[in-house]
Amino acid sequence: MSPATTDHGGKGAMTATDIQIAICGSAGDGTIAAGNILRNALATAGYRVISFDVYPPEIRGFGKCISRLRITTEQAYSLKEKSDCLISLDDSHTIPHVGEVRDFGAVIFEAKPVAQVPEGGHITAHVRPGQIPYGFSIREISEQATSSNRSRNVVALAIMAGLFGLDKGPFRQTIDSTFGKKNKKVAEVNLDAFETGYAVGAATFKLDSVKFGPPGKSVRQGKVTILSGNAATVRGLLDAGIDCYFGYPITPATSIMERLAVEMPKRGKRLLQTEDEISAIAATVGAGYAGARAATATSGPGLALMMEMLGLGTIAEVPAVVLVSQRGGPSTGMPTKTEQSDLNAAVYGSHGDSPRIVIAPTNVEGCYRCAGKAFEMAEAYQTPVIVLLDLYLSNRYETVVLANEAPFNPDCNKRWRRTERDEVYRRFAASDDQISARAIPGDEGGMHVVTGLEHNELGRPNDTPEIHTAMSVKRHDKLKAALRHPDFTICKRFGDDGPIDVGLLGWGSTFGECLEAMFMARAEGIRCAAMKVVMLSPFPADPVAEFMDDCKAVLVPELNFQGQFARLVQAELARPVVPLAKVSCGPMRVEDIVEEIRRLAAQVHQPLAAE
Amino acid sequence: MPDTTPAATAPHYVIIGVGVSGSQAAAELRDHDRTARITIITASRLPFYQRYDLPRVFNGVHDWRTFMVHQPGYYSDNRITLRRDTRVGGIDAKNRLLHLTHKETVHYDKLLVASGGRPYVPEHLVDYRRLMFGWGSFEDAMAVRQALPDGGHALLLGGDMIGLDLARTLIATGHRVTLVAGEHSFWPHQVPATERPKYLAALQALGLELLEEGDLGGIVAVEQSVAGLPARRVVFGDGSDLHGDVVMPFFGLAPQVEFMAGAGPDIERGLLVQRSLRTTDEHIYAAGNVCQIWSEKDRRYKFYNGWKNVRLMGSVAAANMTGGSDEFRSNPDAEALRLDDQGRIQSPFWEYQ
Repeated sequence: MSPATTDHGGKGAMTATDIQIAICGSAGDGTIAAGNILRNALATAGYRVISFDVYPPEIRGFGKCISRLRITTEQAYSLKEKSDCLISLDDSHTIPHVGEVRDFGAVIFEAKPVAQVPEGGHITAHVRPGQIPYGFSIREISEQATSSNRSRNVVALAIMAGLFGLDKGPFRQTIDSTFGKKNKKVAEVNLDAFETGYAVGAATFKLDSVKFGPPGKSVRQGKVTILSGNAATVRGLLDAGIDCYFGYPITPATSIMERLAVEMPKRGKRLLQTEDEISAIAATVGAGYAGARAATATSGPGLALMMEMLGLGTIAEVPAVVLVSQRGGPSTGMPTKTEQSDLNAAVYGSHGDSPRIVIAPTNVEGCYRCAGKAFEMAEAYQTPVIVLLDLYLSNRYETVVLANEAPFNPDCNKRWRRTERDEVYRRFAASDDQISARAIPGDEGGMHVVTGLEHNELGRPNDTPEIHTAMSVKRHDKLKAALRHPDFTICKRFGDDGPIDVGLLGWGSTFGECLEAMFMARAEGIRCAAMKVVMLSPFPADPVAEFMDDCKAVLVPELNFQGQFARLVQAELARPVVPLAKVSCGPMRVEDIVEEIRRLAAQVHQPLAAE
Repeated sequence: MPDTTPAATAPHYVIIGVGVSGSQAAAELRDHDRTARITIITASRLPFYQRYDLPRVFNGVHDWRTFMVHQPGYYSDNRITLRRDTRVGGIDAKNRLLHLTHKETVHYDKLLVASGGRPYVPEHLVDYRRLMFGWGSFEDAMAVRQALPDGGHALLLGGDMIGLDLARTLIATGHRVTLVAGEHSFWPHQVPATERPKYLAALQALGLELLEEGDLGGIVAVEQSVAGLPARRVVFGDGSDLHGDVVMPFFGLAPQVEFMAGAGPDIERGLLVQRSLRTTDEHIYAAGNVCQIWSEKDRRYKFYNGWKNVRLMGSVAAANMTGGSDEFRSNPDAEALRLDDQGRIQSPFWEYQ
């Protein structure tokens, strides 16, 4: 596959099943757990699932949790604007979200709350006339089935499953495997709760227009799994042969370390939780210098702490992989809210001219590929590689199809081997591709100096203008080859070919919304295409410029205030784009993008005012 | 344009019931008072829909939205809060509070009870309710549609005008209908004994098979049939029986006023109201099949049925709740049953909009 590719395929006919279910409750209600059961059950049943949870920074007893799942039989790229069904486990948190349910969708809620409800505080005061309210005695059903109200989440889920006529089998299987691991009795209790709730739902006259079709054939065939972005990242790291991991916990990257801590020892690999992010990056660069495939993961605040050592990695030409899952900032900011505001830090961060490779997957499958490919690139171009994730991508689950064989090259080193007895090893020797042959400690005759100081070919400190210029050129130019890295898509065009009215340039998790918006715009007759840009540094100027040549207007939707990617594009290409920069504490709204596309499409067709 | 945002002091009109009278009242309340808060509370999961049209489920109309009277946007456009799947547990008339069964209390300034009636089932048949199909809602209608096979046999007990309307559609759609006629036949019309035979004959001319309950010693049981026969069996006092796929009681409507017990306003069978539709509580009104209205002529409280009467009640109640002094005057046409030139039954009860 060429690095920059084009996909002419659009969305086919209307999907047989395209349903979004939202579960909302308070921390401690089991909202996320119910979402997990639903996600796994429907994936087991053979549907494609995209899910994303929103939860508060506090552990329990505060704040709102929402689990949203989009269930489809064809590929979907983001959550939908409107849900088809909303399950309330806590009206006070759910009421603000009632408007997210489409007309003739379902709202399932507790009809017999325990405590007195203030006037207007019950969800029935807020369900829209077009929506169908389904009140059930969820707590009572749970108590009758299990002698406890702790299974309210499972009961509510079961009522929904019964109401929509979903197959019980995958739910039973998921509940059994989820709870049975801890305690068989807990699994049995929850299965009882599920059966009772399911019967209530199945006996309820269905008035909504939510219809599940059978799972799609294509999903049933092949090696299909459901993974979160972070889980896919971990699998990519493992499949690419990670040797060492050093990290310090931080939301939303922590689960990368948690998963690796389970998996790496099984493979004889090492993971160390360091005392802070500075140590983590220092150890990662050190391990890279020693020839290991080493990685660390962090979020924006941790990335800030890593900047100095990233500079060392750049000047010392040491491979290192840094996974950065962005969240709302600056400072501690909003640890549980997604944002794409660390692009500048990732691309430009660190002192001096400090080029590095920055890649940003756009979906869960991309997380897998980027994590594995990051090791290849770090080795091949002897530099730190940042994989830029964000909370929305880290925490969202998608049904993905993974290749049976890991698609990663286990060794991309340009290794130095002594060929003559008295050969002097020049660690930073000039070459056509500006990538010097690399010896690692212990290689015979490969002894050399590595320092954070500017250096000559031997690695010895040298601050003459000639050397600094030559080395600066070397460090920048060698990265250009990354734009042709084998089996890696640096950018890709979707939608209409040829000249178009509005082109979307998207990156990271927001690209799913860009694609959905593009499909909607095309359905409205607007000539539209979208290009995802996976490699942010070095910037793929040629294919992006080629794409922009076709566009009358270029829109850049992203989740940050400054329009960081839009500025990057303008700086690289000196061409205007229209930024759509939002800091909405959640994923970009598809409708917001579509509205902007409509506006731009109308603008480009407007006749010029008469002189 | 005048500001129509409800002020904190704007009165709160609460209507219980989203049938013809409740919905009419809500619309007219909004016309009379642009700033008031208006809330409709109903146990139904659906917004106002045309119950009179329900026989159309046998004409292939299976989407409830077809019966919907207003588009969903109507309620927000008119700032009417519609609370469905919501039940009133009791009323504290002294403090003007509604107690909802989900432990919420709602304050009202003026309350209109328009909760309608539920199908009445005579006491001797109450135990067999689970073997019979009701006909009070879209859900009921679809349940009958599902249970009654094409060309199947429906047994209609009683034969009020709601049931006879359904019978007309069932016959037209190829079903067999047997009416077990009795004292409630033609309800709410009161047919003199002398005229009854000609109306029954008119029904037979429509294609109904007719039995007189009195001739058979009354209905004593409704049972599940044995395998191989239609699903239900009606047993009569003389030992005879009748099989059918569905059994449906049509004995008129009983007002739904249980939640008003002990609230204060006088109740006989329904809520007793003056012609202003005000109950004995100055803040509570009633309209529709739930109320009995004082008739000066008859010197008693009477039920007035049929959509024209019920809708008029909604209008009168709304006018008076907002300070008017209207009186309910029954439309005589709305109560007349007659045979036309071709001997067909004509009832204003069937002529709905």
